[in-house]
Amino acid sequence: MEKRTDSPYPRKDLPILAIIGVLLVISTIVFAVTDHRKDWRYYQAEFKKMVAEKFGAEKAATIPSGMKQIWVPDMRRADRCITCHQGILWKGFETADHPYKTHPPEPIRTHPIEKYGCTSCHGGQGFAVQSQEAHGPVKFWEEPVLGKSMGEGYSLAGDDKGALIQMNCNVCHRFDRETKGMDMINHAKKLVRDKGCRACHVVNSRGGTIGPDLTFVGDKAAEQYDMSRLGGQKTAFAWHVSHFKNPKEVVPDTVMPNFGFGTKDAQSLAALMLSWKRAPVPVDFRPGVARTDPQTAEEVADEQRMKTGPGAWFVKTGCFICHSVSSLGVKSAAQIGPDLSTAVEDTQSRFGKTVDDFVKNPTGTMSVVLTRQIVLTDQEKEVAIQKLREAYAEHQKQKAAGTAATASGGH
Amino acid sequence: MSAKPETSKPEAPGVHEKPFWSLRPKSDRQAGDAVVSNFLLHWFPAKVYKPSLDWNYSFWLGTASAALFLLLVLSGLPLLLLYVPSVERAYGSVKDIEFVVTFGWWIRAVHRIAAHLMVAVVFLHLVRVFLTGAYKNGTGRGQHREWNWVMGVVMILLTLFLSFTGYLLPWDQLAYWAVTVGTNIASSIPFVGPDVRELLLGGRTIDQATLIRFYVLHVIFLPGGLGALLAYHMWRIRKDGGLAKADREVLETTRKEAAPGKTKTYTLLGVARGTSPLVRASSLERSELTVNSVNDLVRRVYIVVLGTFAVVSILACFIPSPLEEPANPMITPNPAKAPWYFLWLQEIVTDTTVKIGSFTINGAFLGGVILPGILLTALTVWPWLDKSPMEAAGAWFHASRKRQNAIFLIVVAIILAFTIVGTFMRGPYWHFFWPWQAWPELPTRI
Repeated sequence: MEKRTDSPYPRKDLPILAIIGVLLVISTIVFAVTDHRKDWRYYQAEFKKMVAEKFGAEKAATIPSGMKQIWVPDMRRADRCITCHQGILWKGFETADHPYKTHPPEPIRTHPIEKYGCTSCHGGQGFAVQSQEAHGPVKFWEEPVLGKSMGEGYSLAGDDKGALIQMNCNVCHRFDRETKGMDMINHAKKLVRDKGCRACHVVNSRGGTIGPDLTFVGDKAAEQYDMSRLGGQKTAFAWHVSHFKNPKEVVPDTVMPNFGFGTKDAQSLAALMLSWKRAPVPVDFRPGVARTDPQTAEEVADEQRMKTGPGAWFVKTGCFICHSVSSLGVKSAAQIGPDLSTAVEDTQSRFGKTVDDFVKNPTGTMSVVLTRQIVLTDQEKEVAIQKLREAYAEHQKQKAAGTAATASGGH
Repeated sequence: MSAKPETSKPEAPGVHEKPFWSLRPKSDRQAGDAVVSNFLLHWFPAKVYKPSLDWNYSFWLGTASAALFLLLVLSGLPLLLLYVPSVERAYGSVKDIEFVVTFGWWIRAVHRIAAHLMVAVVFLHLVRVFLTGAYKNGTGRGQHREWNWVMGVVMILLTLFLSFTGYLLPWDQLAYWAVTVGTNIASSIPFVGPDVRELLLGGRTIDQATLIRFYVLHVIFLPGGLGALLAYHMWRIRKDGGLAKADREVLETTRKEAAPGKTKTYTLLGVARGTSPLVRASSLERSELTVNSVNDLVRRVYIVVLGTFAVVSILACFIPSPLEEPANPMITPNPAKAPWYFLWLQEIVTDTTVKIGSFTINGAFLGGVILPGILLTALTVWPWLDKSPMEAAGAWFHASRKRQNAIFLIVVAIILAFTIVGTFMRGPYWHFFWPWQAWPELPTRI
C-alpha cells in the first residue's frame, strides 16, 4: 500500500482548531452563566429567608420558585412582576422594603391582581424580569413605573409623590366625576369644569372647536410635540405642565389664554391630559358609571333658564360659553372673557375702539373666535351691537337702582 | 474506516460497522476513499492544490458565508417554534424570547448577528472574487466560472432579501419603518412600482398580510432557494476544477514542463453529459503540489465553520438585540432608516432629488432604481466584459486588470462611505451629525 503523503497542515492547523474549541467552550459557559444569573433568583431566595424567619421553614417551603407571571388574556398582559415582588399578597411585610413589601389591601380588594395584573395600574414593562427593564425608564419602553421616584423627578406638588399612578387609574375611571383616592385627577377634573375648557375644546365629544379635541390627547406621541421652547425635561408631561402655566411660552401664536395656574393645578391637568388615552380595556373592567360625561341637572336647568331669559340671544349665539352678561342674567361657566354687560365702555378702554368698530373688525382672540367659531353676517353683527347696547343700558339701569348684579351671577 | 474490516461483513465503500467513525487514513488511497464513501464530504475532490488552502488567498469568505447560513438555519429552528407571526402577538412573542425563554436572548442574538455578518461576509466574498478575477476560466475543460459568478450575484440578492424579510418579523418600530422605507423605494419603479409594492406588502399598508408574506418567504422560500443555489454553487466549483487559483498553478507548472503529461478521465456517475471532465495527470501526480482533502481540507473547513460559530456566539453574549416600541403606523421615528445595508441607497435617494428648472428628477427613482439597476447589471455581465488574459484568473490585483479593479474599488468605497454616513451620521430630519456631535434629545412621554 502506498504511504500517506506527508502534509505540513496538521502541525499548523491543529493548534488553531484547539483554540477554537476552547473559544466555543468559553462562549458556552458565558451564555449559560449569563442566562442563569438573574436578579430574581436572589430576590426569591431572600424572600424565602424572610418568611422562614417570620413564619418558620415549613411556611417558607410552600413559596413557589421560578419565573412567575399573571396572564390577563383580556388585556393582553403578562405581568412578571410577581417573580420578584413575592410578598404583595402576604400579611406581615407591610414595613418591608421593595420588592418584598405587602401591597396595600384596599386597592387589591377592588382590583384583584389576577384580573387586572400589575402594569395596567402601575405602569412598567410586565414582560421584563430584570429590575431596570421592568421599572424603567428604559429606551424603547414608553410606560415606566409611575412611582414615587418619578413624582420626585417632576417635583410633584403636594405630599403624595406617587400620585402619577392616577394617570393610569383614570384610563378606566375617566367618566367618573370624582374617584376615591384619585385626588390629583379629581382636582384636575374640577378645574376642567370650572374653567370651562369645553368653551374651546371638545372633551368626550362635547365642546367648542377653537382648540384641538382633547378626548384622546394622551395618545399623542412625544415626537408630535414641539419641545423646542421647553427648558428642562423634554417629555410630554413636562410640556403640558409648562403649557398650562403659560401657553404662549411653549406655543407663541396660541390663542389659549393664560389662566394663571399654579404648579399643582398645572401638574394635575397635565396628568389628566396624559390619562385621556384610547384604552385597550375591556368593558367589564370599567367602573359602573355611564360612559359619557353628561351635564348635571342643575347645569341643564341653568342653561334652560338663560335660553329663555332676556339674554337669550347671547346664549343662542354661543357668546355665553366664554362671557357672562350679568345684567341680562346670563352666566358663563367658563368666564374666560369679560362680562359683556359693560362691553360698550370696555372696548374703548381695552382696544381703543367703539363697540361697533370692534364687532366689525375684531382683534386678538375675538378675531379668531369671530372668524372660526361664531361667524356672523353683517346683519347679525348689527343685531349684536344692538344687543350689547341693550345689555349696557340694563347694566346702567341696575347700577342706578343700586341692585347691580355682580359678574358672577345675579340670580 | 480506520481499518479494513476483518470479519466477513460485506466490504464496500461506505459500509461501516461503526455508526460513528473518526478517520485516520493510513494511505492516500484511504484518504481518497473517505471522500467517496461519505455523503457530506462528496463536494470535495480527493485531492486539492495546496495554494487553494491558503488563508490569504480566499480568506475563506465563501466558507464563512456558508457557515453563517448554517448557523442561521440552526438558530432559526428554535425561533420557529417560539415566534408567532401575527400582528397582535409577534411583538410579545419576541419579548418572551428575550426575557423568558431559556437561552432565548442568546439564540435571538446569534440569529441577528449571524444575519448581519452574513450580509457583510457575502459582500466581502464578492469583492474578493472580483479582485482576484476568480470568475475567469482557466485551462480546464467545461469550465463556466462566469455562470457561477452570476449565481453568486443572485445569492447575494437572496441574502439581502432574506435579511430584509427577517427585519419585519419582530413587529417593532424599527421593523415597521425600515420596511416602509424599503418598500417605498421599490414603489418608485416606473409604471409597475406601486404594483411591486402591493405585491410585496400583500396590500397597500404594512399589516397582517405583509407579515405572513414576509414570514413565509423568510422561513421557507428564501432559505430553500438559497440552500439549493448554495449546493449548485459548490458543485460548480468542483466542475470548474476548484478555485481559480488552482488553475493558475496548473498553468504555471505546465508552462515549466513543455512536454504534455498523460491524461486521465473520470466519469461522474452520469451527472455530466458528453465528454467527462479531463484532468491533467501531471497535476494529480505532483504530490508536492497537492494534499488529500481528508484531512487537510476538512480540518480547515472545521476551523472556519467552528471559528465562525465561536465568533458569533461570543458576540451574541455581549451585544444585546434591540427591540423598539411596538410598531405604530401613526408615529414615524425620526429619522426613519432602512436596514443598514440599504442605507447607501437611502443616502443616494435623499441626495439625488434634483431639480433642473421645472423638471424634478425623483431621487427614489434615480437612487433606488436606476443606479442599483445599472450596478447590478454591470456586476452580472462583468465576466463577459472582462477581456483580460487567462493568467489574471486567481491572482490578486493582476496587472492586466488594474483599471477595472480600480473602478470596482472606487464603487465599493463609495457604497461603503454612503453606508457609513447613512448609518452613523444621519440624525433627525436626515441632518448630518459628526460621530462626536450629540443628536438632539429625543422626547419621551413621561
